[in-house]
Amino acid sequence: MPVVEISYSNLQKLIGKSSKKQISESLPFLGLDVESEEGDLVRVEYSPNRPDYSTDFGIALGMQGLLGVKTGAIKLNIKKSNYSIKVNSTVSKIRPFVTGIIAKNGKIDDKFIKKLMAMQEDLHFGIGRKRKKSSIGIHDLDKISFPLTYTTTNKTHSFIPLTATSKMSISEILEKTVVGKDYGNLLRNSSQVPIILDSNSDTVSFPPIINAAVTTITPKSKNLFVEVTGINKNDAEDMLSIVATILQSAGFSLYGVKITGANNSSPKLGLRKITISPNLITDTLGLSLSSSKIISALKKSRLDAVSKGNNIICTIPAYRFDIFGPMDLVEEVALGYGIQNLEPILSPSQTIGQTNLISDKLKSLSLTVVGLGYLEVLNSSLTSKRILYEMTNRESKKIISVLDSKSQEHTILRNSILPGLIENLSRNIHAVYPQKLFETGTIFSDDNVIDEKVSFAGISAHQDANFTEIKSVLQSVLRTAFNFEIETKTFEDPIFENGRSAAVFVNGKQVGVIGEISSKTIENYKIRVPAVGFEIVLSGFVF
Amino acid sequence: MSQVFHEIEKKIITSLKDNPKQTMEKLEKSTNLSSDQIRRGVEWLKLKELANVVESTTSIFSLGKNGLEAFEKGLPERRLLNLLKDGPKTMQDLQKELGSIFGPAMGLARKNNWIETNEKISLKHSPVELPGEKTLKKIGNGKQPKNEIDVVDLSSLLKRPDFLIEDVQKSKEISLTDHAKSIAISESVGAIDVEAEAPPIFAARTHPLKDTIDEIREIFVTLGFSEIVGSMSQSSFWNFDALFTPQDHPARELQDTFYLDGISAKKIGTPEQIKNVSASHKKNWRYLWDINEARKMVLRTHTTCVTIKHLAETKPDEARVFSVGRVFRNEKVSYKHLVEFNQIEGVVVGKNATLRDLMGIQREFYKRIGITKIKFWPTFFPYTEPSLQTMVYNDRLGKWVELFGMGIFRPEVTKPLGINKPVLAWGGGIERIAMLKYGLDDVREFYNNNLNWLRSVNKCQ
Repeated sequence: MPVVEISYSNLQKLIGKSSKKQISESLPFLGLDVESEEGDLVRVEYSPNRPDYSTDFGIALGMQGLLGVKTGAIKLNIKKSNYSIKVNSTVSKIRPFVTGIIAKNGKIDDKFIKKLMAMQEDLHFGIGRKRKKSSIGIHDLDKISFPLTYTTTNKTHSFIPLTATSKMSISEILEKTVVGKDYGNLLRNSSQVPIILDSNSDTVSFPPIINAAVTTITPKSKNLFVEVTGINKNDAEDMLSIVATILQSAGFSLYGVKITGANNSSPKLGLRKITISPNLITDTLGLSLSSSKIISALKKSRLDAVSKGNNIICTIPAYRFDIFGPMDLVEEVALGYGIQNLEPILSPSQTIGQTNLISDKLKSLSLTVVGLGYLEVLNSSLTSKRILYEMTNRESKKIISVLDSKSQEHTILRNSILPGLIENLSRNIHAVYPQKLFETGTIFSDDNVIDEKVSFAGISAHQDANFTEIKSVLQSVLRTAFNFEIETKTFEDPIFENGRSAAVFVNGKQVGVIGEISSKTIENYKIRVPAVGFEIVLSGFVF
Repeated sequence: MSQVFHEIEKKIITSLKDNPKQTMEKLEKSTNLSSDQIRRGVEWLKLKELANVVESTTSIFSLGKNGLEAFEKGLPERRLLNLLKDGPKTMQDLQKELGSIFGPAMGLARKNNWIETNEKISLKHSPVELPGEKTLKKIGNGKQPKNEIDVVDLSSLLKRPDFLIEDVQKSKEISLTDHAKSIAISESVGAIDVEAEAPPIFAARTHPLKDTIDEIREIFVTLGFSEIVGSMSQSSFWNFDALFTPQDHPARELQDTFYLDGISAKKIGTPEQIKNVSASHKKNWRYLWDINEARKMVLRTHTTCVTIKHLAETKPDEARVFSVGRVFRNEKVSYKHLVEFNQIEGVVVGKNATLRDLMGIQREFYKRIGITKIKFWPTFFPYTEPSLQTMVYNDRLGKWVELFGMGIFRPEVTKPLGINKPVLAWGGGIERIAMLKYGLDDVREFYNNNLNWLRSVNKCQ
């Protein structure tokens, strides 16, 4: 989850009428997890559904509501203007939508630019899905001559990109710059790429890769132009609504940008309305609340609401696109009401509880094996070829691998438990003998569909370990726990010593194997005493 | 009070009562025990605080080459005096008889005025015992500790070259403590030392983590919940899509989720389920839902997939079910992250199920595992609304730690699957609870299978 660093004193200034203590105690109730705190600075983690919390401006807006300093919906005040972007239909196949806004007369300093960049990064990663769905360019308005054209160009087109000092062609940008390499794939090798040009045909931006150097914002900039491009109109407008809300609360005056052509139109960024029944709220929260209490809670969550007949009509600003329907408003009421004010209740159960049959049988099995002196161990289902096959000389069957595991020890799913137990012995050669271990767990096989079975294995290691001992144990376990008699028939298995291993049968059906662990495996693992073991697949005959 | 002693201990105590301070060697003689038995017996008595052992060093003397010669033939001056007993002798004769010792013998005899020198040398006076003769006799061919020898007599020999060999030895002097002196030795037959250490053996036991799982299972059952089980490998459809997680959600990416290499689910759900789920995604998340993405097989990232599948199949109006089992995350293994861990997941279905009920069940659950300091904070999950997380206070770390996530399944999750009543859902990692219980800081300990640890963990925490 994304993290943002904010300063308490700055938050206090933005919120007004609030103490550091109030803010610090309320952060979690806004859904922000405090990661660390150092003096005036606090790092908070915000949920990906609330990208408006990517700056202190957005957090301040939410906190004002929660603390009751300012409540109700934040309305965007967008003035009319003559700024416009004309969209050429050639972009339809590659990145069809563009939208934008003008922000004038704000205070721009290094700190503000840094915040803006951090917000942009978070938005690109989160709702932009690494710039795929939508991406933002923020420019110095006074370096651009309107109207603009959003069109396509070929890869020989050149301009000076951000941070460079001389002209580069699109091909060069894609091959040589970091952003070009990282995001070039979004253009799917198209020979034509999207480009925003101004009325002098100068390049403003090459979305979603890089802006032109000339429009870079600096502390000397006064006015901003924000463009958002994307593959979906709604996604582009959602992203713009966040940036517009943040810029307005940072003190900028907003002006609209007229978008025309190729199925594009000017953004709405207006308020939405959702009707909700108070009953849904009270039934869901388990709280009897009057309509006016509900409305006041919604306002604390920075929404607007009015009572109409039996319903409440709620007004939602564009940047709250995380609100899909009435149930999301129930959560807003809970937040505005204060989670800390919700008293837990314990309603009596109408149902009778029951454990699962498999759990019951496994528990009874464990008790029996423990009674015979066996200690339970737990190994991962994900293991390695080394443990599962190489060290134990087992022949590999159809291996089920996971993609891109970050751990070399966890790359394939086990189809047997016993190799793990032998590996456990090798890690404990300095512990007191006898060592008697068992494990029950899931094993996996790939037979067109993945088959999961519950398996049970045991191992005994000490100076006098032998086949008879382990057979005694297995027959005692199965008889005591499940009332099954076993038969053992000569059988070879590479994990065991030849001539000292058998297949285990119950009611004429093979259910497992048993034997003395092969001396080669014992040697491979440098275990100093003999070991004997068994493995029984329980699925199919015990449950 | 009479105490039970081993035969060896009895013999040592008895001997020390007669002779209060003895070396190990002396004890060996006085008790007729072997040096090994004495060493063990003294060690036992020392542990019981019945014997004092004082270590000291002693010089042991034996005769050197010249000393042995003097022991056999007499001291050089004695040999000279003996020769003169039969009458005066010439210098030449004496020189011939005595050889190399003639010089030193003459020197001493003159100095002590035992002889007279005229033309011949004659005896004036012959002492009965010369200095050093007592020591020579005492040591002889054997050895003697310094304290057994007359110090003045010894010193006269120490000046002579190669007469004595000194060996410095450490020795232990054993005595009884005051308490031991008053002990009466029991004579009862067959009594054993019940206070002695016994060799350790280890009780076989179930795994500590399994114990925690069993305890949790028990709590759920007593709260009226029934257990359901499901597969660890799941289609993305049930693990993600059915839970309203969009197909390009970060949680689905390879670095978070284990995808099974080259394996796709053939059947993922009923045609209706697939149609409704995809419609819910298209309508709300606004993207092109891809069935091939939903077919990709993953190792379940949570047990919620088991629960939702069960609810979709049974569509209950009233139910309390839970599931517990392994879940998987493709993360780097560390002291707080495992690729595979256990999760508990519970749901309550009912027309009157509320958020406060959900909080109440949590509080009761925590109370039963011994956690009383809890609070609830809002949080976000794609499939629940409202969503909360529990924070519990960890006394050992002195801070609040996140434990379970919870919420009410979104209508976008339940409606497409034909579930019409509210569903309260919650879940979390069991290892976290077990770490609190067993006081562990490293979650890997549960899967290290270190026998020293497993054998040492107490069954009840």
